[in-house]
Amino acid sequence: MIAFLARRALGILPVLVCVSLFSFGFVRMLPGDPARLLAGPDATLQEVRAVRISLGLNKPLWRQYLTYIRQTLAGKLGTSARTGQPVAKVIGERFMPTFWLTVAAMAWSTVIGVALGVLAGVRRGRWQDQTSMVLAVSGISFPAFWLGLLLIDLFSVRLHWLPTGGEEGWRSFILPSFTLGVAVAAVMARFTRSAFVEVAGEDYVRTARMKGVPERRVIWKHTFRNALIPVITMAGLQFGFLLGGSIVIETVFAWPGLGRLLVDSVNYRDYPVIQAEILLFSLEFVLINLLVDVLYAVVNPEIRLQ
Amino acid sequence: MSRKLDLSRRAMLGGTAAVAGGLAFGDLAHAQTKSGQLTVGVAAALMTLDPADANDTLSQSAARLMLEGLLTFDKNMQVVPLLAEKYEANAQATEFTFHLRQGIKFQDGTPFDAEAVKINFERIANPANHLKRLSLLAMLDHVDVVDQYTARCVLKFPFGAFIPTVAHPSLQLLSPAALKKWGKQIGRHPVGTGPFVFESWQPDTLKVKKNPDYWQKGMPHLETVTLRSDPEDGARIALLRSGEAQLITPIPPQQAVVIEHDPKLALINDPSIVVRYIAMNVMKKPFNDPRVRQALNHAVDKQLFAKVVYNGFADPLLSAEPPHITFYEQQQAYDYNPEKAKQLLAAAGYAKGFDSVMWGFNNTVAITAMQFLQQQFAMVGVKLKVEPLEGGVMASRIWNVKKPDESHLEMYYGGWSSSTGDADWALRPLFATASFPPSLYNVGYYSSKAVDAALKSGLETADPAKRGAAYATAQKQIWDDAAWVFLGVERILDARDKNLEDAYRLPDGGLMIDAAKYA
Amino acid sequence: MSETTASNRALADTALRSPLGEFWRRFRTKRVAIGAGIVLVLIVLTSVLAPWTAPYNPTTPDYQAILAGPSWAHWFGTDAYGRDILSRVIWGGRISLWVGFVSVALGGVAGVVLGLISGYAGGWVDSVIMRFSDVLLAFPGILLAIGIVAVLGPGVTNVIYAVAVFSVPVFARLVRGSTLALKQSVYVQASRSIGVRGMALVLRHIFPGTLPGVIVYMSLRVGTAILTAAALSFIGLGAQPPSPEWGAMLADGRSYLGVDDQLTLFPGLAIFVTVLALNLLGDGLRDALDQRLR
Repeated sequence: MIAFLARRALGILPVLVCVSLFSFGFVRMLPGDPARLLAGPDATLQEVRAVRISLGLNKPLWRQYLTYIRQTLAGKLGTSARTGQPVAKVIGERFMPTFWLTVAAMAWSTVIGVALGVLAGVRRGRWQDQTSMVLAVSGISFPAFWLGLLLIDLFSVRLHWLPTGGEEGWRSFILPSFTLGVAVAAVMARFTRSAFVEVAGEDYVRTARMKGVPERRVIWKHTFRNALIPVITMAGLQFGFLLGGSIVIETVFAWPGLGRLLVDSVNYRDYPVIQAEILLFSLEFVLINLLVDVLYAVVNPEIRLQ
Repeated sequence: MSRKLDLSRRAMLGGTAAVAGGLAFGDLAHAQTKSGQLTVGVAAALMTLDPADANDTLSQSAARLMLEGLLTFDKNMQVVPLLAEKYEANAQATEFTFHLRQGIKFQDGTPFDAEAVKINFERIANPANHLKRLSLLAMLDHVDVVDQYTARCVLKFPFGAFIPTVAHPSLQLLSPAALKKWGKQIGRHPVGTGPFVFESWQPDTLKVKKNPDYWQKGMPHLETVTLRSDPEDGARIALLRSGEAQLITPIPPQQAVVIEHDPKLALINDPSIVVRYIAMNVMKKPFNDPRVRQALNHAVDKQLFAKVVYNGFADPLLSAEPPHITFYEQQQAYDYNPEKAKQLLAAAGYAKGFDSVMWGFNNTVAITAMQFLQQQFAMVGVKLKVEPLEGGVMASRIWNVKKPDESHLEMYYGGWSSSTGDADWALRPLFATASFPPSLYNVGYYSSKAVDAALKSGLETADPAKRGAAYATAQKQIWDDAAWVFLGVERILDARDKNLEDAYRLPDGGLMIDAAKYA
Repeated sequence: MSETTASNRALADTALRSPLGEFWRRFRTKRVAIGAGIVLVLIVLTSVLAPWTAPYNPTTPDYQAILAGPSWAHWFGTDAYGRDILSRVIWGGRISLWVGFVSVALGGVAGVVLGLISGYAGGWVDSVIMRFSDVLLAFPGILLAIGIVAVLGPGVTNVIYAVAVFSVPVFARLVRGSTLALKQSVYVQASRSIGVRGMALVLRHIFPGTLPGVIVYMSLRVGTAILTAAALSFIGLGAQPPSPEWGAMLADGRSYLGVDDQLTLFPGLAIFVTVLALNLLGDGLRDALDQRLR
């Protein structure tokens, strides 16, 4: 187990180096001159040049890359071209709102989603199955921005129950985490049901049932545990997705998170911030995948850690 | 805030949760207006509070809460004194002397004097500082401290538009002591002479509070002002309608009805200086023929343009610059006349029309406008392909082009707002031969000796009569050449709580809330 | 489209052991799925036959009838240009469905191939492919979309590529996961013990086992793809005007929310109903296709 973890941790390094090179190249391949965009819509050529020099974009590419790597290793990640703030600080300010929103959305949606999925799986083909699936699937069939705007219209404008947006107090979490979680709950419910039904068809479950093992025990001991594997994968993937910050939901609910930061940074071609965000997302993902693999092993020891 | 939370939580737990919850929230929104607190919902994100390093109207407006300039604009974009009491210029427009108001202190106690003006202006003019607003003072040689309250700006060459330039919000003054203390981080720690003092700037939220020592007695009326970024139009309107904000800026024209129907809200509908036009690449066929450009001017129903694109909230554009820019001269309108357009096209050899491509930004209003123009041009046989472009792509395709023959532009749906409010900056960047990209923004490569000469002479004097004559010539020539398809002038469209008074935006889009109060 | 390909393969597989009719025998008991299927067929037909089913031209303006509410002349009302919303929804269905199916087909095929190779080969091949998919997954989707749209230019085709790329790593990880599990399963071990190896083992014994998961996920992804295309329109990177793609209509109509709700209601409902039907149908197919059930 420890050897496995060590090997996987070492495996992260080349990924991060690849990502750093990839993101460095990618942002520079995007059409659009950061100096021009930052200098503003009525800047003179002289101003554009001044901005280019202050961003260090007049230097050769290899020197820009070395500067980037040096600043990244020093933990500073450079300076935001858009606001002149240290990138580490910019990202830090934006990470927590996204993180807590993700946690809030994942918490309720995983519980509800898995519960619906199990219910549907156990009562397969009956009305409980159909009702919970139609319900779950409805959740993923809404365009998120439309749902968000409809919710704001109802709960903030008409009823005055909840704030329209911004991150201020627990009440501000309700609408965005609901909008964000609805889709996740649907995915979790469908996936849990699928996994459940699939495992229920496996020989060992049928054998258990034929041997006269009580139904409750068949469900929890044999079916649920094995069905958990794909469910955990999916939950991990979803968590990773959400941690990147949802652009649509953060825009609709004026949430000061990473998704909106990315949009603003891309609009101004703020290279240091975009690079840092990509690096952060990659790190999160690799770590989550590692965690998922470990959980696989915990849940089902038959899958050996290779 | 915590009080608000507690109350509403209690209310939610109460028996009549629905009604009580609504009341609690609404009442508190009302309490906010009573206690002199103002929350403003804005569309963009704040970039910096150093106005000399800001090129967006929002950052400059935010700085205006805390800082002041020597001169400023009144509601009609006329230059009026603020920290300077009066000013004079020499005949060659190379020296401008400002007599300062006495006894004013910056918020950190530093006295406001000619030395402060010198430090601020020379900081911007120094290319080594790489400030984004360098060009505003590129003509400045140095500032003489004549005496403690008299500063003389000496220019390198004549610049007749210097006075409106000094009124530009980017030339608002920062405390010299703060500049020294914070250096490049001044944009996070602004200290000025203004009515409000900086309190905090969290992501998306700027808070300022009343300056108790403000030099204009009895001002400001508000205790605190909060700027909140809310990029989504619909959500921003919800912010106002739910009572969380008392002013939002801007609102999409289509939503004006919502505001008008709400008895608690009022629409702010003022003239702006944002012009909308189509630039055509006059170096390319068929736009090299003035008859084609005139035909296109006759092919667009401008009233319908205002109605469809701006829901009626736009004025006709009857010159190359809008009415609230200095030295405006109204021209003879190109009337909507598709028949005449077809005749002109036929005379130019395009009886069957032609195909073309129009570029524009990819925001909803621009896309709506281009769709509308596509339909209008189709009626005279001009088949348009509409390509909305992302900002960065647009910048590299039209503004970073090195030479005219490298430009692939055919038609460009664009907008312009002269940030100095002066005719020079409204015309020169867009129509002078010297303003071909990448230097400035003459993306259609329009070139006219008469216009170039007029624009030059307009800068060589500070005498309003002479400048007026020069810009009248330029406007007439540009209009007759149909350098653009002249579409319209946007209107400023904001919404406020009915009780909020004297908060407005200037025609240049700058937000003015220093005198705001509740009824 | 991808769904039918997938189900055809599975059908062929079933046919080897039992009559083709068995699938239908099982599928026809799924009333919800059949209902969803009928709705979907109706939507697809109406859209494909748009030149005959749409009452008006979707792009021709009528400035006499701007922003009219639903009426007998215009069942769904009209938009800011006086265009008939019903006609636009019908024509838009062609684009939205096309984007959904094609992008998932492209992304799904690539992802399944990568996932099978990765799961079966193991070792460094697995590591490389999975790290690659990590990078792809971690890479912010909007950046990819902007990159693709910026380099290739705007338009529906490029939206398809952008949406397809989103799908590749998801399928790869999913298929790898089931491949790993299937490698341990009794029947694959058995096949291995009688000497079945390599491609044959993967295609005959592992691939069919991954199919139920793939099909379920594809049915979800077609819906997701339609929603992603809508989200791209929301941030201004989607289909271009005057294309009546549903997401573009919905995004354009949002500034009329609360005033002229017909602009968002009908394209929104079109997306909702279509995605719902796709998902419910996918569920039914999955149950009917799985050989190990009953």
